[in-house]
Formats: sequence, C-alpha cells, structure tokens
Amino acid sequence: MKAVMKSLVLAGEAPDAFQMHAGYEGKPYFDAGYLDPISDLWKEEGWEAAIPKVVQDMVKFNGEYYAVPVNIHRVNVVWYNKAVLDANGIDPATLTNWDAFFAACDKLVAAGIAHPISLGDVGKWTDTHVLEQIIAGEGIGFYEDWVNGKVTSATDPKLVHALETFKKYLGYVNPDHAALTWDEATAMVIRGDAAFNVMGDWANGEFYVAGKEYGKDYGTFPTPGTAGMYGLCIDCFQHPKGVKHPENSLKWLRVVGSKDGQDAFNPIKGSIPARTDADVTKYGPYQKAAIADFKAATYMYPSVAHGSGAPEAFTAKLDDIMSAFVDTRDVSAAAKALTDAITAASADYTIVWKLH
Amino acid sequence: MRFIKDKINTLLVFLPSLILVGYFVYASIGWNAIVSLSDWKGLRPSYNIVGLSQYAYLSHDPVFWTSLENNLLLISLFVPGSLFLGLFLAILLDAKVRAENTFRTIYLLPFALSFVITAALWAWMYNPSIGVINTLFEKIGLGFLKSGWTTDSSIAMYSVILALIWQFSGYTMLVFLAGIRSIPESQIMAARVDGASSLNLYKRIVIPQLKFSALAAFVVLMVFALKAFDFIFILTGGGPGYSTYVLPLMMYRETFSMTHFAYGAAIATLLFVIVMMVVVPYLYMSSRRGKE
Repeated sequence: MKAVMKSLVLAGEAPDAFQMHAGYEGKPYFDAGYLDPISDLWKEEGWEAAIPKVVQDMVKFNGEYYAVPVNIHRVNVVWYNKAVLDANGIDPATLTNWDAFFAACDKLVAAGIAHPISLGDVGKWTDTHVLEQIIAGEGIGFYEDWVNGKVTSATDPKLVHALETFKKYLGYVNPDHAALTWDEATAMVIRGDAAFNVMGDWANGEFYVAGKEYGKDYGTFPTPGTAGMYGLCIDCFQHPKGVKHPENSLKWLRVVGSKDGQDAFNPIKGSIPARTDADVTKYGPYQKAAIADFKAATYMYPSVAHGSGAPEAFTAKLDDIMSAFVDTRDVSAAAKALTDAITAASADYTIVWKLH
Repeated sequence: MRFIKDKINTLLVFLPSLILVGYFVYASIGWNAIVSLSDWKGLRPSYNIVGLSQYAYLSHDPVFWTSLENNLLLISLFVPGSLFLGLFLAILLDAKVRAENTFRTIYLLPFALSFVITAALWAWMYNPSIGVINTLFEKIGLGFLKSGWTTDSSIAMYSVILALIWQFSGYTMLVFLAGIRSIPESQIMAARVDGASSLNLYKRIVIPQLKFSALAAFVVLMVFALKAFDFIFILTGGGPGYSTYVLPLMMYRETFSMTHFAYGAAIATLLFVIVMMVVVPYLYMSSRRGKE
C-alpha cells in the first residue's frame, strides 16, 4: 500500500488524507514538499497540552507540525499464556531482565514445552521488532544513539550484547518460524503451545477474538529491561499539499485529534489515544492498563521496525539483515551489516531524537 | 503509384500501435536508462546526471551479486527442468490415451492460475510442521524426505524452483504437444513400417523436429526466469535472509521501499540488457529461418 501511496503522491493524485506512521515514514513526503504544515491547527485545537512531548516530536519536521497522531500502539510488550506460567510456578512480575526471562524459559523447556517463545517472521519485520526491544533494554541512551544513527562501530559492546541476547532468545523459538505470520505466532500463545510472544499491542485483538480474558487467560509485561519505557508505534494523518478538498482535509484532522474522535476510534482499534485526557471507561481491560502505563512512562521511544524511528532506507535493509541473522545466528556478520547500513544511510538521519 | 499508396496505407494502419508501444515501452525504457544515470533518491525527481556511479555502486553491493547468482541458478535449473518435464508430459499425452483432453486440462491448469494464488498455496504446502508435503511424507513412511523447504536457507531457492517448474510445465507441455502434432503423420507411419521401436521413433524422428518448439519455449522461460517477481515475493519475500533474493525483487525493494529510484533504475536497465542478450539472437535466428 505504501508503494501505491508514493505513486499517487508523485502523480499529484494524493487522497485528501492517508494514514502513515509518525516519524520517518512521513519524511519522503515532507522532503519532496508534498505536505503542508499544520502548526496553526495545532495551536487552535490546543493539542500540545493533551499530547506528550515525544509524540509531538514524532509528528514534527523542522520544528513545524505536519501530522495529527490518532493512536498509540505499544511495541515493547511480552504476551504470555497465564495457565502455562501458573502451572510452572513462574511469576511474570519477576521477569524484568533477560537473565530472569531465560531462566523461566529453561524451566519451561524442562517441563516439556520445547519452544517456550513463539515467533512468526513471514514478512521479516517481526525479527526487527524483537531486536529493537532488546536494544531498548540496553538503556534509553543506547536506543537514542541507535535511532540517531550514531551506532557505527561493529564492535560496539552494547550492540554485540543485544545481538547475543537475541541469539539466546532464538534458542527458545519454534523452528518453523519462517513459515508463520505474526498472528499465527500469537495463536501459539493463545493455544498454550508457547508461553511467550513479543509483539505490539495490536496482538490484543487476536486474544479478544479468541474469547480470552485479560488477566485471566493471558497477560502482558514490558519486554525485559524496558520497565517504565513505552515503545511507540503511532498512526497519524496529515494534510497533503494541493489536495482537492483542503477544507474537508482540515475538518478530518480536527476530528482525528479531538477527544471524542480518539475515544470513538481507539476502543475498537485496540490502541490507546494519543491524548492523555482520554475517557478511560470506554476502553477494555488491556487498554486501561496500557493507558495507565502511558501516563506513568519514564521514557518513550519511537519504533524503528514500524517506520518511525529510523529512515526507511535503513529499516528495509535492517529487515533483511535480521532475517539473515535469525537464519545464520552470526553475531559479528549481523553487527557489521547493521552498522554498514547505518553508515550508508547516514545522510538520511535528519531527525535528531531527544529521548531522555 | 499503387505500390506507394499501399505502403502509406500499411504505415497508417500500424501508426497507432507504433505510437503507443513506442511511448509506453521504448521511450519508458530509454527514460529509465536516463534515470539510472542520475542521482534520484526520494520522492522528488532529480535528473542530475552522475554518470555510471549507480552501476559502480551496484558492482560493490553483495545483495546484487547474491540476487544475480539466484537468477542464474533459477535459469540453469528452472528452464531445463520445465522443458524436460513438459516434453515428457507431451510424449505421454501424444500416446492418444482415452481421457486426453482431461489430462491436458489438468496439466495446463497450474499455468492458468494466478501466480499469487499458487505461491500462497505453495507457502502453505511447504510449511514444515503442518504443511501437506511434510505431513504426506510422514504418513507414507518417507519421513526422512521431510525438510524445512522455503524456511531452510540452504534449500529455499531450490524449493522455489520446484514450485515454478510445476507451474510452467503445463505451458511447455502444450508447446511440445503442438510441435509433435505438427509432425507429418506420414513420417511416423513410414518409420513404423520400417520397424522403428518407440524409443528410436522419438529419438530419431520426433525430438529433432521439436527444436523450434523447444527454442520458442526456451526464450519464454528464460525471460520469465529473469523477471520472476510476484511468485517469489509471495512465497518467500526474498527470505530467509537473502537466500531467495532475485534481481526484480531487489529492484522493487530499492525503488519502492527505500525510494532509491536511480539505483532501482540501474538494476532495471541491467536486467533489460540481459534479457536482450537472450531475445535478440532468437529473433535473428527465427527471422533467418523464416527467410529459408
């Protein structure tokens, strides 16, 4: 769909508004001059008071606002099957670092669950998704360097440590992952074939459709090392330049950014609103917990796997590099390929993220 | 006078299609070649000519060499594989079995199906834990033949080639069947009267006369092997890692995912040159044969 959108925009036939992820995904359009700034709209609607700073930064280019965030999805979430953990005496609240997490996995393997972590990487992006949570677990400072294109040494100890952690993680993963889509991996946790799955909170919809109850059949905790951190994947709408109905486009943006608009859309979508003044009663149990976490988050970071945190030229390459890593488990080759890709795309790193 | 009028009429009849093909095909190819000499990155077109630097960059890109290798592997296995399987099926069908039409339809059906659909089906069949192929092997006692198929990077490309041979053998069968049927019946009867066995009949009479059909099918298969995109994109997306990456896939990724338009144009131009190296000799040979 993104390829179609680029062709439409290039041809001057852009729709009055289209969804995109905040951050770098909008950059090709901004660079080519296809977006109109909407800072005036932001002032009129008073959105700055209702939307947190990191989210504001994600919809700005060169200090001006260009998009309105409609929702927040969290990416650093581990989904677990409660029955499986209870049966093996594992308390998810203790899994705050990778050592504890892997110890729990060892326990599950000993108890007969051969592959306690499920992964489905058809499409390759799920591999990058796991990597970025591991990188975030190395500390917000390192993540900030990573998304600012500063991690250029293949022997960077934090990068190597992150890849080694990922390698260990892969030792607990189902061998047919390359044939499963992300939701099929989530289904493994729903069925109890696996205990854990790392996925953004759009996975909640899968549990909901399967009739599972949050807190009773399944639960979540932040990926090890990222307690208090909220990894962001944000959908937003923008105001393309020269659209056929500019007034309608602005009206749509007003609805999208309003409290009522967000509270109407998000309960169904499964995400939480970008505004901090949401009406919490409208949301399901997982979302209530997520809204509380969002308000209390110490740090927020833009997701790379979903096009926000790093230039698209880098992310597309990263997906391939991660898919190759999952296949070969070669840490030094992956570190070299990754840092080479960052260096090759260095001219594209124009956004300077300030995350802490 | 009449002769010139005829010529003008002929030209006028051809003119509309000449203009359309000229603009949408040849001018576009030329335009693409010019883009490949520029530095266009991102959504704003830029026609700064920077010479052959995109091609130089291409020659240092390991992904390009992997993709080229995979394309060559595809050509070296897929083309002969489809030709031989097609020939075999055509010979079988030529034996005038009772349900010939049914069998012909069955063999031809895969080629008539959308590549996207068959690729999705093959992805499900190749699933190592619950796919039809591994499960069948298990059930009939051939468990040792089970493997990761497209999830195993060492054999993923071969699995892709196998699926493509299945898809195309119906087409080559049809081409060969037509070729076999066009051999004069008198030759076959004369050979039989002279006491030729079936094997000799096929070896000495039928197969040598299929050279032209084989060449026609060969060119079609070669060109497909160089531009195969949708099937591979759906089946593996180029994965695992880079093991099933092919040039058209790389071109798509670079151009649309990474907006490196000039780089993608360079890959496209290179592909065009390779395809021309296959097609032009064929056209020359067939026009010469036409003159004979």
